[in-house]
Amino acid sequence: MSKGGIIAETRGLEIGYRRKRVFTVMKNLSLQARRGELVALIGRNGTGKSTLLRTLVGLQPALAGEVMLDGRSLHDTGSSQLPRIVSFVSTEPVAVRNIRVRDVVSLGRFPYTNWIGAQTAADSMAVTAALEATGISGLEERSIDSISDGEKQRTLIARSLAQDTGLLVMDEPTAFLDLPSRYGIVSLLRRLTREKGKCVIYSTHDLDTAINEADRIWLMTGDGVSEGAPEDLMLTGSLARAFESPLLSFSVNDGTFSFVRGRQNTIALEGRGKAAKLTTRALARCGYTIDPDAPSLISICEKGPVTEWKVTDGTGERYYGSLYDLVTGLQDIDQ
Amino acid sequence: MAGLFLLMLILFMADMLTGSTQMAAPDVLKALFGSGPAGDEIIVMQFRLPKALTAILAGAAMSVSGLLMQTLFRNPLAGPDVMGVSSGAGLGVALTLLTLTPLFTLAEGSILSGWGVILAAWAGAGAVMIIIMAVSVRMRDIMTVLIVGMLLASAISAVVSLMQYFSNEVMLRTYVIWTMGNLGNISYPQIRALALATAAGLAIAFTMVKPLNAILMGETFSRTVGVRMQRTRIVLLASASILAGSVTAFCGPLAFIGVAVPHIARLLFGTSDHRILMPATALAGAVILLLSDIISALPGGGHIIPVNTVTSLIGIPVVLWIILGKTGLGRRF
Repeated sequence: MSKGGIIAETRGLEIGYRRKRVFTVMKNLSLQARRGELVALIGRNGTGKSTLLRTLVGLQPALAGEVMLDGRSLHDTGSSQLPRIVSFVSTEPVAVRNIRVRDVVSLGRFPYTNWIGAQTAADSMAVTAALEATGISGLEERSIDSISDGEKQRTLIARSLAQDTGLLVMDEPTAFLDLPSRYGIVSLLRRLTREKGKCVIYSTHDLDTAINEADRIWLMTGDGVSEGAPEDLMLTGSLARAFESPLLSFSVNDGTFSFVRGRQNTIALEGRGKAAKLTTRALARCGYTIDPDAPSLISICEKGPVTEWKVTDGTGERYYGSLYDLVTGLQDIDQ
Repeated sequence: MAGLFLLMLILFMADMLTGSTQMAAPDVLKALFGSGPAGDEIIVMQFRLPKALTAILAGAAMSVSGLLMQTLFRNPLAGPDVMGVSSGAGLGVALTLLTLTPLFTLAEGSILSGWGVILAAWAGAGAVMIIIMAVSVRMRDIMTVLIVGMLLASAISAVVSLMQYFSNEVMLRTYVIWTMGNLGNISYPQIRALALATAAGLAIAFTMVKPLNAILMGETFSRTVGVRMQRTRIVLLASASILAGSVTAFCGPLAFIGVAVPHIARLLFGTSDHRILMPATALAGAVILLLSDIISALPGGGHIIPVNTVTSLIGIPVVLWIILGKTGLGRRF
């Protein structure tokens, strides 16, 4: 991937709120995002992800420092110019019933249309292109309240795309979605960066997809934001530090988190392939680690479509027809 | 839309045919074109024509005011009467009616002809509108804002009661009749003022259809597509206050038209796009107020039901339908 130019940058940014007194959420943020790049903003609840994104798109003022968008300071960008540089998909729920998907997407043309919002041929082409890119062309005549949550999110992303900005910022676009829809949205965002050269910055709690799909991660912790490729953050251990807890441990090998198990027993296992892998997994969940020297042995016998588990220990042999029976059987013996 | 316009014209004619005295259709037409007996002509030209014109103006103005408030506050139960804006306008009117009248020692009702009362109503409506806006910026909850509106209306009516207590019988009678809602008894100079104010309010409202469509999607959405919220809010509040205030000044606090008609228009046209919804709401408002006026004259024999009774009977079922509807309060747009 050739490196695109820097489209968003923060210089010594301080974010927070100015009420009766000033509440600083985070200081000294110096971050970057390039064109053609998918940036995932991750961090635990309450670290200030939304505050950072809202400051980035000009919805709330920076307490200090600067946000540079497309080479220009946000402060010096007029309110009529800004919507042509950055678009924002918030977590605000859609509370409208009688509005077609196409009409919502058309609102993305707001900065370009005349006072009554009449669309030129170029405007409606941009809307159609946005509908196609997000895969919701078939839904354009449907009412927004008649489509699924994943499709609604696609509609809002299409609106953002129709706004024709180089930078797209999204606050938790995958929240409340089921697993396939979450992957669908993130792979869509990635495609926008690859095919349209957009820079997409999105916040998420979905570490799996962020680590696997994002080019760059902004990792927010109480101490500040670290940035880099997902693997950089794994290498320095900052990813593990940010999310590890007494209950969770991070595995550098496959980039996933798993529960920390309490009491560990050992057991030997004989077998190969998928059945062996899944047996190991089921055993791990119940607090067993595999050790060839353990006194008890599980042998996997695969006879055609039927799989059986044989447990041999000091008391004799027992057979189990499913992993569920196996692990409950083992736990009964141990007790 | 054309159908709605046609319906409005038909009801306009029908409204001319009804009133406290019985008149046959041909007589009304003759009087209208100045070829009937002098008595008929006075009834038609001095009572029925102004009444029908007022119904159209007031219906359109109150309904569009309600539409603006519903979108601005993102609240399906917003409306000039529900949120105390009519009461605010009423306070302005009461102040002029009950305090200024004795100062100028004018005859009953005549102060109503001036722009003074309109300005007082605008100021009252605008003041309440600003308070409601301030509350709704802080409190997102629909019910909270409605309750504040109702409390405000109660507070205002307490102040007005106090003023009534210290006023004389003639002024009191003028005021009580005014509160019942009245489309008749409006002179041509008053209609001219109402027409000008309504035209101005509607014109401002129509220039705002584009930001209104964005506001439907939420404040953050609007700001990031380039709506200048501060300016837009002020313009919308001014327009809604002008519309509701002017009507309330002359016709009294017309109940439930503002909150109910936008929903009827949404139901009829199946859209929330203000480019269609706004003219539809204006026309539907005119139609429904004309209809209410016709119904109010139905008893015949010189009896007229106060128009507020009729609009309440039409509006309350709509409001109930909104509250009890299966999609719930937050999603009725």
